[in-house]
Amino acid sequence: MTAQEYAFAVIAAVGSISAIAVVTARNVVHAALYLVVALLSVGATFLLLGAEFAGWVQILIYVGAIVILFLFGLMLTKAPIGRDTLDNTHRWVGLLVAAGVFAGLAFLIQDAFPLDAEPFEVFHGSTSVVGESMFRDFVLPFEAISFLLLAALIGAIVLARKDEGN
Amino acid sequence: MIGQAVLPTPELVFEPLLPELVLVVFAMAGLLYEALAKRTEAVVHLSIGLVGVVLAGGTSLWLWDWDGPATVLGDAVSADRFAVLARLLLLVVAALGLLLGHQYFARSGDEQRGEFTPLLLFATSGMTLIVASADLILTFLALEILSLALYVLTGLTGRRAANEAAMKYFLLGAFSSAFFLYGVAMAYGATGTTKIAAMALALTGTGEAQALAVLGFALLAVGFAFKVSAAPFHMWTPDVYQGAPTPITAFMSAATKVAAFGALIRVLDVAFQALAWDWAPVVWGLAAASVVIGSILAIAQTNVKRMLAYSSIAHAGFILTGLTAAGSAGIRAAMFYLVAYAAMTVGAFGTVMVVSGRGEKRTRIGDYTGLARTNPIAAALMTLFLLSLAGIPPTAGFIAKVNVFSAAIDAGYWVLALIGVVTSVAAAFFYLRVIVLMYMQEPEPAAPSLTEKVGIGAENSATAILAIPAAATLLLGVFPGVIVGIIRDASVLRW
Repeated sequence: MTAQEYAFAVIAAVGSISAIAVVTARNVVHAALYLVVALLSVGATFLLLGAEFAGWVQILIYVGAIVILFLFGLMLTKAPIGRDTLDNTHRWVGLLVAAGVFAGLAFLIQDAFPLDAEPFEVFHGSTSVVGESMFRDFVLPFEAISFLLLAALIGAIVLARKDEGN
Repeated sequence: MIGQAVLPTPELVFEPLLPELVLVVFAMAGLLYEALAKRTEAVVHLSIGLVGVVLAGGTSLWLWDWDGPATVLGDAVSADRFAVLARLLLLVVAALGLLLGHQYFARSGDEQRGEFTPLLLFATSGMTLIVASADLILTFLALEILSLALYVLTGLTGRRAANEAAMKYFLLGAFSSAFFLYGVAMAYGATGTTKIAAMALALTGTGEAQALAVLGFALLAVGFAFKVSAAPFHMWTPDVYQGAPTPITAFMSAATKVAAFGALIRVLDVAFQALAWDWAPVVWGLAAASVVIGSILAIAQTNVKRMLAYSSIAHAGFILTGLTAAGSAGIRAAMFYLVAYAAMTVGAFGTVMVVSGRGEKRTRIGDYTGLARTNPIAAALMTLFLLSLAGIPPTAGFIAKVNVFSAAIDAGYWVLALIGVVTSVAAAFFYLRVIVLMYMQEPEPAAPSLTEKVGIGAENSATAILAIPAAATLLLGVFPGVIVGIIRDASVLRW
């Protein structure tokens, strides 16, 4: 095993354990914090693969923005914290769905990328490569995203301003 | 030069994107006018919108004779005649939507909202972009642009039903977008590209990664089925069509179908054409479920907007019936159906708008009792559109149905055609029931006549707008040849 594989084993173990901890945590704030660890290890996996842009974006957006939003949401809505309110009766259904998704993804991945296939040349998605590609090959989708955000912004203002009038 | 090599600048051929650029510019102009003008006039908003739509239509027409590359901007946008025809249809629907909306806000008690025109142009630009998109990433973004604008338009009046409809549409729409995006990711995993042309090449002749590609297609199909409101992904349609302001229902029932089917046709007949044996049963199943569920549930409705919503589910099924035939034959049948459907559904919802009055009070089917006495013009228009929706000659709906059924039979799916014919007969019942109510019964004494409510002028201008879809419905029914040649030219996808 190479150093990279050892590192991956550690990161994967940390990520998996914290992912399980997210759903078993008794306190919803703890669950959100475990989620930070799980998302950080996904980001670390990207970095390990040389995809520095995807790795940092993962950390910035998910850890920096989305989990923080979760915590703000919990804080501002005074969501009930504790075992009884978090638990629900659909555990077995949830387990079944999780197992089904896992089996399906495992089958598809081994079907598309068999173990005995030639090892991939690791593609280093450095920020400059991503930037070049984005502004050369994907310049139109990039502009379309800007426009989409503008449309969303205007839509949000239109809907929000109405409440003020009433 | 020392240091970094200068990147070769790609040549930007952006002319095939002109219609969208025009629409966006005019949407911005509308927003600026609303923000900067001291007193805004609804007529100015309407003019900005109409000029934008007409100019976009002009640039689209110019693209009909485009002799540049088939796809431009990094193979993301198609410049074929299919895109031109679909765009023109969308722009006509958008113009009718603007006119009907103007009437609606002018006479209803709802506050005139300056955002109506820009949002409708936003939605239209997303729709015209999606029918020309040759890259699934761009297709997804266009889908989101049109959906976001439609969610907001649905809740625009702030009436309780409209807010509820917008919320429902948004939640389910976001869910279906996630399916679509997941499908794009799977298709990328199977082919290594998101460009539909490269995808078609990657899928041709190789047996590898088939399961991933089929799963990708299935997820994309869920996303599309939601947008075209095909069963079993139709649950949102009745609530949203009923809750949304009627001119917006008219616009989105026609335009969303044209846009989503335009994109679906490119995915089926270009990207996944090598897997036609795998997707045909999926399309077959969606078509059969939609015609049966749409027609049966429509019978039980007591609200006219809800009934038309279920009818639109059935019509999505008829269009899918035509699309079971792969290639140009299916595209021709589907395109003719979309043109006819756009005319009759805008007309039908437009007439509902005329009859419903202020605050959309009169939308029950019972409100149509004796309409031929109180408002003969509206009754005559409604009759024409309902006959066309039922597929009775000499209307566009009849020719359109004949086309899709014969396309399906030629492709060997005669069972599906048979299901379609049987459900058409069943569906005729609820269309004809409204006509019987309008002509063969006396009006309820309590029902005030329409002219008292809204004034002769408002009624006449709304009716004048409806003359356009009415003329199209009749013309396509009597002389379908006028458009057959155009559709034949447009049915070849260039990639």
